[in-house]
Amino acid sequence: MSVEQNTDLVPLKVHGVLVDPNTDTQIVILRDESNADVLPIWVGTAEGTSIRLALEDVVPPRPMSHDLITSLSTHLGMKISQVVVTDVQNNTYYATVHVSLNGLERTVDSRPSDAIALALRAKCPIYVTQDVLKRRAGDNLDAWLAKLDDKESQSSET
Amino acid sequence: MITQMNVRGLLFDPYNNAYIVILRDEENSDMLPIWVGKSEASAISFALENVAPPRPMTHDLMKSILDNVDAKILSAVVTDLKDNTYYAKIHLWYGDSEYSIDSRPSDAIALALRAEAPIFTKEEVLQKQNSEELERWLENLKPEDFGKSET
Repeated sequence: MSVEQNTDLVPLKVHGVLVDPNTDTQIVILRDESNADVLPIWVGTAEGTSIRLALEDVVPPRPMSHDLITSLSTHLGMKISQVVVTDVQNNTYYATVHVSLNGLERTVDSRPSDAIALALRAKCPIYVTQDVLKRRAGDNLDAWLAKLDDKESQSSET
Repeated sequence: MITQMNVRGLLFDPYNNAYIVILRDEENSDMLPIWVGKSEASAISFALENVAPPRPMTHDLMKSILDNVDAKILSAVVTDLKDNTYYAKIHLWYGDSEYSIDSRPSDAIALALRAEAPIFTKEEVLQKQNSEELERWLENLKPEDFGKSET
């Protein structure tokens, strides 16, 4: 296929982290600013927890792995400037972490979960390419998410 | 004084539903067991078994960020034991200075293994941990508790 890809960037906000009751994994819900588009990304338990801690501004007594990366960056004078969800292939999302140092920006390959966990700690923007947003799964995603929201709110009451 | 330690393996602790990283000194006379969470244990076992996952795990990303700016991981040092919590530092060489950064031992070990950097512990940490109690505990471990590492 030689279809030209739209690599324009859309800023996303982390809307929340849900537990998928069917697979015991967690789902990070990203939404664009107008709430028109949603991008759900399945992540492991540890990454989901790390994202939730950052969302809720919880500082754990000892640094978690992503706190350590943030601390390494700060010590060396690096800045995590943005993260981008760049691709999706066979249901696997790809991301890059942009690190700026001495005015030079470098990009590092990452899973979206790590990238998002870092972005929340560095308070830097999260983007997705138009192309990835267009190719994301399922038409009835919103209905599915609504159903999940119900389950989630029930289980979080216990 | 610091002692160089090797990662001798990972055990599953069925009583606490956690994993234990076993560090031993070169003469095998001292041992340091460190309880870690499931995801840290898997990060350490990937490195121990030299398995490259299809996508970078968190510590692979950590190393790749450091590699990208030519920061060199010199060592990981277990520096203290307080209220059953181990403390560690990661030593880095970057530019023309050395940096030491506070870390949990699990992260420091996972990173050191990927960088093939040495792991040390302070002598006082070895003295602090109660080895007698530990050996009694280890004797009570059944062979099936070791099954996890075979899969």
